[in-house]
Amino acid sequence: MEPVRSVEPIFWQRACHECDLLLSGHLAPPGRALICPRCHCTLQRGTIRGIYPTIALSLTGLLLFVPSASLPLLTFSLFSLGAENTLLNGVQALYQGGFIWLAALVLFCSVLAPVGKFLLLLFLCCGSAWGLLDRPVAHTVRWYQLIKDWGMLDVYMLGLLVALVKLQDLGKLEVEPGLYCFGAMMLVANLASLSFDQNAIWQRLAQRRAARSARR
Amino acid sequence: MSAPYKAFKQGLTSCLCCHQLIILPTTGRCRCPRCGARVYARIDGSRMLTWALTITGALLLLPANILPVMTVTYLGAGEPNTIISGVTQLYNTGMWGIALVVFAASIAVPVMKLLGLALLLVQIQLRIPFDPLQAMKIYRVVSGIGRWSLLDLFILSILVALVDMGFVAQVDAGPGSTAFAAVVVITMTAARTFDPRLIWDACDGDQGHTTVVPETAHRSGAENG
Repeated sequence: MEPVRSVEPIFWQRACHECDLLLSGHLAPPGRALICPRCHCTLQRGTIRGIYPTIALSLTGLLLFVPSASLPLLTFSLFSLGAENTLLNGVQALYQGGFIWLAALVLFCSVLAPVGKFLLLLFLCCGSAWGLLDRPVAHTVRWYQLIKDWGMLDVYMLGLLVALVKLQDLGKLEVEPGLYCFGAMMLVANLASLSFDQNAIWQRLAQRRAARSARR
Repeated sequence: MSAPYKAFKQGLTSCLCCHQLIILPTTGRCRCPRCGARVYARIDGSRMLTWALTITGALLLLPANILPVMTVTYLGAGEPNTIISGVTQLYNTGMWGIALVVFAASIAVPVMKLLGLALLLVQIQLRIPFDPLQAMKIYRVVSGIGRWSLLDLFILSILVALVDMGFVAQVDAGPGSTAFAAVVVITMTAARTFDPRLIWDACDGDQGHTTVVPETAHRSGAENG
């Protein structure tokens, strides 16, 4: 019941994950991307400064999350009646209207997945420095790949802009400071996932494994 | 044209999660030794699953477009809006830019995704000669644009929270929105279960994967039982 034992990782080759073409292994030079000659998909993007920008960006994103979740994003007022929109009270309104699944989906895509991405990136980049965390880090890469597509801050931002224009002639609509924080968080989230280079993590782990076996 | 040097013919495969090259055991599937993700020669039952999800998504498009998505009540009077009537209303009030954005995100994107996936599947299964690079372009567009169709649901959640003034003005969600959310989630999953390597297999005339899939399906059934 151990089929994995026969499996040996091979370091000197790679296969394109979209067309299965075998390629001899190279890493992209910093700032350039490695592209499959057959299907033109991006195999790997070389980052200029390793993992440090990712750490900085994900920390910034986590800090920006605090004001953008607690401050109102938009306020709308009509005949002295007013209401405000925060990241969470839209979810709450949907939940109270009985749309539990819808509320869960919106909550996951606009709050949980983006914050989860920041936390996982931070854990990946910082945790890869300790030998103790080798296994959790390797498994976190999988979790990161799973939720990567579900963080939709940019779509939410477009939704906010559409709502802004849509309601403009219905009543008085004001942009609140939370919206600027949210916009900044969206930018930082995109930059963080762009700057993340999986290979840097794997290289760190491989180097440590090599050093450990050399010591023995 | 010389046969391309493919990993599958060498008994190798790459992990879809961490892109590590792995020697495939005879069972045709294993766990990636580096990141622990499941590794297959080709995603198990990729064509069948993608077909199933595509058809489900297409069927769910009907309630999503027939049932009302939101009800806007303004000064006591209001009527339920479907996705299409919401777009036409925006267009009639002169906001054609926003109407275009909402139309693209909530009607054009889901329909194009489903059509694109169906086209790819038909091309692979009937072995219609096609340009693989063009098929890859379709695949990348289909898997890239899916997330934007959640736009309508985000707008809904924003409006429900913002316009909540009882009798004066109120926005309520409708049952169509749940169906629409299901369409978006199902089409995103369908794009994920589609294995683009099948496009190249069909193009090279490789049948290799078809011998692997039934065997592994049988094996996993035996393990569960």
